[in-house]
Amino acid sequence: MFDYPLFEMPVLGQRMLFALDAVLHVLVSHGAAVGASIVLATANWYALRTKDERFDQLVYKLLMAFFIVSTAIGALTGIGIWVHANIINPPAIGSLLRVFFWKWFIEWIVFNFEMVLLLYWFLKWKEWSGEKKKYSVRIGIAYAVSSWLTMAIITAILGFMMTPGGWLNDEFPPKVNYLVSLFNPSWLPSLAFRTFGAIVLSTGFILYYTWLFTRNDLALRERAFKFFSKFLLGAIVPAALGGYWYYLQFPPQAKALFPQALMTTQYLGYKDIALMGIAGLVLLLVLLGFFFFSRPKLVPFLGTTLAIGALVILTGVFERVREFSRKPYIVYGYMYAHGIRVDDVPLLNKEGILKHAVFVPDSVRTITDENRAEAGHFLYRTECKVCHTLNGINPIVDRVRGMSEDAIFTRIGVLNSPATPWMPPFVGTEEERRALAHFLFLETQSVIPGVELSSR
Amino acid sequence: MFKFIPNDLPLPLPVGDLEAVFLPVFHVLLVVAFVVHILFINVLLGGSFASVWYNLVGVVKGDKTYDRAGYLMTTPVTISENMGALWGVAPLLIVSVMFTAFWYSSVLMISPQILHIIYGNIVAFLFSYLYKFSWPYLQERKGLHLSFGVASVLIFFSLPFVFMTAVQLYLTPGTWQVGMRYWDVLFRADVFFRLAHFFLASFAVTGVFMMVFGASKRKRPEDAEAGEVLIKTGKSWFVVTTALNLFVGLLTFFQFPSYGIEAFYSSVYPLILALGVLTAVAAAGLVLRQFFVTDTSPGTTKWVVVLMAVTVLSMATSRHGMRLLLLKPAIAQMNVKTAEYVASVKAARAEALAAPLVAKAPSTPGEATATKYGCLACHAVDKRVVGPAYKDVAAKGYSTEQIAALIRKPNPGNWPGYGQMPPMTAVTDEDAKVLAGWINSARE
Repeated sequence: MFDYPLFEMPVLGQRMLFALDAVLHVLVSHGAAVGASIVLATANWYALRTKDERFDQLVYKLLMAFFIVSTAIGALTGIGIWVHANIINPPAIGSLLRVFFWKWFIEWIVFNFEMVLLLYWFLKWKEWSGEKKKYSVRIGIAYAVSSWLTMAIITAILGFMMTPGGWLNDEFPPKVNYLVSLFNPSWLPSLAFRTFGAIVLSTGFILYYTWLFTRNDLALRERAFKFFSKFLLGAIVPAALGGYWYYLQFPPQAKALFPQALMTTQYLGYKDIALMGIAGLVLLLVLLGFFFFSRPKLVPFLGTTLAIGALVILTGVFERVREFSRKPYIVYGYMYAHGIRVDDVPLLNKEGILKHAVFVPDSVRTITDENRAEAGHFLYRTECKVCHTLNGINPIVDRVRGMSEDAIFTRIGVLNSPATPWMPPFVGTEEERRALAHFLFLETQSVIPGVELSSR
Repeated sequence: MFKFIPNDLPLPLPVGDLEAVFLPVFHVLLVVAFVVHILFINVLLGGSFASVWYNLVGVVKGDKTYDRAGYLMTTPVTISENMGALWGVAPLLIVSVMFTAFWYSSVLMISPQILHIIYGNIVAFLFSYLYKFSWPYLQERKGLHLSFGVASVLIFFSLPFVFMTAVQLYLTPGTWQVGMRYWDVLFRADVFFRLAHFFLASFAVTGVFMMVFGASKRKRPEDAEAGEVLIKTGKSWFVVTTALNLFVGLLTFFQFPSYGIEAFYSSVYPLILALGVLTAVAAAGLVLRQFFVTDTSPGTTKWVVVLMAVTVLSMATSRHGMRLLLLKPAIAQMNVKTAEYVASVKAARAEALAAPLVAKAPSTPGEATATKYGCLACHAVDKRVVGPAYKDVAAKGYSTEQIAALIRKPNPGNWPGYGQMPPMTAVTDEDAKVLAGWINSARE
């Protein structure tokens, strides 16, 4: 991060800022775009085949809800991932873009088809009737295919971050093998998992809205619930199998971090309860699926709400585990979470971050007794604030509270040890490490937390 | 010399061995994608404003024609907000890959305000959908309905402020300072004039669009009058804003740093720019000739579209020229700096790889296990480091089993005044016992 200006997100932290946008995007893109497009295109075809006009109107209402959510929230939070990555870890997203530019570009072209087809499908729906309905079905299928393709390409890039495969060699700077980076080990497994997961997630939303839209037509609700819950039940097993296949691809070090990823260090002892909770939620979904299928008229609103709740929690947990277990890296083996390339570490340890960072105030370029705390604050913002805040979420001050300055100094020197394998190492000279320790120590001593020093 | 120039990423541009082919492709793609993006955004801004304006006029005059014209404009608004956002991605990708260091530095300086283009946009989208889809249902509640429209227009109009600040800042690395923030840049003269130029152009482009859109709607008998209204507004918007932009455009140009203006002067771009100005003047002249004629001829509209297409392309090309000329010296400086940096990274890396690993051979199985799990990073046998000395732990008189359990589930309450030890869940049962035995062997 030492190449770029500093931006800090107090209390929330950059990690949570990113997570809010990303999880929202996953919920909408998987639930309302990819999964729902597959289910609704099939429903459109089914309504036409069975000449069920009421069902057709229901599909239109559902499409309207998903149109609004996908275009207003899904597409924009998708662009939002770009923008958040730009400001939270620019060297990482910049490197990914150098490797994946043309794949991203192709994805964007497919995204165009997706958007135009969605606009066309939705805005023209009411103009098509009778014989012309078949066009609607065709457009719907084309939309489903294109929205799945955008996910297929993005998944390759996500897979790459965890399992870059053989693109990385011993050379510096590395030569890029574009084909190897695309066909990285976790691409297809994660795609299988996400495809079926998206269908399951979308049926949660679809059943929820269907319940609302059929309050005055229980016969329609019965037909719709029977139809849609088949997708829920049918996709949940392949999703679980895909998830297991995906899990097998994780590097062993990443698998070892699953407990922390699941529970955070503080609640590590409750890992088994968490696992049982997840299994329980999956079981709940299966049971609800059977209930929706066999007794649609008896389903209370709470039933569909429970299904959505379970799905949202499972999605959030999955994304958190995937992101956390990649640590201490952001691109496995190539770049640490704080945006410093593994290869740069020897130089920066020898010559210092402050020598090579660009947007360093002149006053801290060289560390003296007077500016030690200020230099430490700069180093905190360069290396720590991508995951920590001072006193907000994941507070760094709490991690070092009660330690002497020397103890903090020692601790910073062994961040990437078996005790905390997810932490990237502190990078910089010993004097810089001393400055960071000094700053953190003063923060623990500060009477009004954060005020005295971090306002400098 | 620029004071703040980041290093480039040490990864090649994604052109493979075909630099001669792909590099021009980048430039063409950037210009074309920008044009499409900006045209959609122009129509989004002008169109959403027009819709609310007609709606208001319809209420004031009690005239259903205006209400209809306003409603008709909501469909192009829906399409342009979606396509505009979509076509913004391509320029974002290309700028990020070609001008990586400059673009990222700029957006970081204007953070977190840059996020307004996401979250503000979401809110504006939702309001604009609410406005469009509630139109038939809120005919009797016009105050409420108009407020939805006004909210979406206000938010849509606030987005270019953030964008233009980012754009102007990345093109002028000479103005960068440590601690620079969004508000420092927003009120700069260069940003002000670019925004003024852009907003005027939005109304000009929407004017042309409304002439075309109105002409197509006029063909349907039920929309004949609304179509006329659209054409009439379109003509005024186009002529007035184009005339104003002749002056504002000139002032915008002279806000750039002098080195950029001088480089521009000695390039081919002034000719391209002049062509665009001429075609814009010609298009405005054509519209003026039929300004007060109700039945604008389709031929005129067609020529206006063709002439303005030339204007838009010439403006986009000369803008790209200015972009390259402004960044050229900065990129040259960055390349030199990056090469030096990469060379020293290579040297330090080679040195580190060559250095022999000095590790003291552990004397006992207990010490070996402690080394394996990194315990000695924070503990020592006879002195406090981060955690307590092992001899102090041993002095507490725990059993081996108790220590083995505490390794995996530490209790911070036992050691007030120390930091919290992370649970060492990776330690196996056997190893935990070995460790515990070794720790207790430090008892004095």
